[in-house]
Amino acid sequence: MISLPFALLVTATLGSILAGLSCSIAGVFVVRLNIASIGFCMSHAAFAGAAFGLLIEVDPLLTAMLFASVTALLLAPVANRAKLNTDVVIGIMFSLMIALAFVFLNLSPGEAASGAALRILWGSIFAVSEYDVLYLALLCAMMVSFVTLFYKEIFALMFNQKLAKAAGVNTYVFMLIVVFLTGLAVSFSLKLIGGLLVYALIINPTSTAYQFFWDFRKIMVFSPVIGVASCIAGFIFSLETDFPIGASIVIVSAILLAISIAISPKRRTAKIAAQAA
Amino acid sequence: MYTTRNDLMSGSKGPKAVVLLDKVSTVYEGERFPAIRDVSLCINAGDFVCVIGPNGSGKTTLLETVNGILRNTSGNVRVFGLDVTESGHSVRTRTGYVIQNFEIDPLSPFLCKNVVMSGRVGKIGLLRFPSERDWAIVDESMRLVGMDSSADRPIGKLSGGEFQKILLARAIAQEPEMFLLDEPFANLDLKSRADVDRLISDLNRKGATTVMVSHDIDSIPFSCSHIIVMNRGRVAAFGPRDELLQNGVISSLMKVRGSAV
Ligand SMILES: Nc1ncnc2c1ncn2[C@@H]1O[C@H](COP(=O)(O)OP(=O)(O)OP(=O)(O)O)[C@@H](O)[C@H]1O
Ligand SMILES: [Mg+2]
Repeated sequence: MISLPFALLVTATLGSILAGLSCSIAGVFVVRLNIASIGFCMSHAAFAGAAFGLLIEVDPLLTAMLFASVTALLLAPVANRAKLNTDVVIGIMFSLMIALAFVFLNLSPGEAASGAALRILWGSIFAVSEYDVLYLALLCAMMVSFVTLFYKEIFALMFNQKLAKAAGVNTYVFMLIVVFLTGLAVSFSLKLIGGLLVYALIINPTSTAYQFFWDFRKIMVFSPVIGVASCIAGFIFSLETDFPIGASIVIVSAILLAISIAISPKRRTAKIAAQAA
Repeated sequence: MYTTRNDLMSGSKGPKAVVLLDKVSTVYEGERFPAIRDVSLCINAGDFVCVIGPNGSGKTTLLETVNGILRNTSGNVRVFGLDVTESGHSVRTRTGYVIQNFEIDPLSPFLCKNVVMSGRVGKIGLLRFPSERDWAIVDESMRLVGMDSSADRPIGKLSGGEFQKILLARAIAQEPEMFLLDEPFANLDLKSRADVDRLISDLNRKGATTVMVSHDIDSIPFSCSHIIVMNRGRVAAFGPRDELLQNGVISSLMKVRGSAV
């Protein structure tokens, strides 16, 4: 058990809660819209961006956002095309971004830079400033109001993009907003969770909620609840074990997902039906 | 009233023209040849038009060009007097679309009543929430298709036919001025087919212009007023139902079907 100064404890706790909230809201979009490859690419682009920021000595958060947004803008138009070969996109973008990140990190001078680089890779509570928490809070406010105000449009979009468009929803604009918010959630959570793992925090809570609920509204509520709970539990776990915080959070959320798949009422009924048949 | 092709060419549109296509072609992205080409036709308010033709002849493409889901590559599409390229949103808000049967993940977390409500999103408008009246319309639409007892069932647990009825209820809940129905009889048993046939005809009689796709000439509803025959992306024939049913184009199409089986 490591003891932290009170201020750092508060920042880290708030940061964990807010990162969990924003990532798991983004997760609902990412999982349902089948844009997992885009989320995946964005998290690695953000990682490469942060490394680039270290290299040119500007705030890594800024360059992470920049890289994630550019990736989002490049990929958003292809998000709803059936023809998009996701394997190819993942293959190219993922390896390119990781390669870029390593090049940037390698070029960055000095001890301090490599320490910072490691933090971006693994995530660290020491990397999170009050400003990061503030940005995360603003982002969470944006996401919650987006979901509340445009719930019916989001529902239509999540059910079927073509039918949503046919009913008069501006699907193009909504897709852009969704992809953009996801990019921001990834970038803002990067310092805390780490570039390699932030993606798991997006996918796991929503996938966990999927095991239990048939009603989209409940997914929209419980995915963030599970995300925040994983983050708090992971944070405590990391204090206890001295594991990196990102790793702890992802381990907790992965365990939750595994348990939920094992006990899922959805799957259980399916199994009984299959046995009966 | 039926407007002839000549009326259309001379530019005189009837006052009640709901859909007006002028030499419209639509090319899918990345394709070289148009899926529909040089389609010109006019559908008037209250018409009940059936689009028939073999697989791949462009029926779905035609529907999606009319409501602007696909952007036409050349020609001119006017619906409700509006240019679809410019005013696609208002056209789509006033048009109910039943998509051709598609697969849905059995675990997907959507309840039937909410899916039906999602037909009304454009109609309700941005930054507004469904009112009690909206929910009453949703209930009524589900009752019309005989699915009122399934309101709280997850959509993924429905059978193919039940799902098809929910999609129809979704379009009805939109209270559109025009229906575009892509194979609404798919997966339906004989009784449901008759029920849905009657329902669609009723809605048409109450004033909704209806364009219905079917690849099966036997399932053309009795109340259908006009028939469009599509073949290889072109309109092979278009005219009043009775005239077309005696036409050689359809019988040749049926012969192809007969020999293929
Ligand atoms: N997304 C697409 N990309 C490229 N080509 C397409 C696409 N969708 C359809 N096509 C092509 O356009 C042509 C017309 O297709 P369309 O779906 O309109 O046919 P259809 O008459 O509705 O057929 P069916 O009876 O099978 O539903 C076909 O040759 C098809 O291969
Ligand atoms: Mg079709």
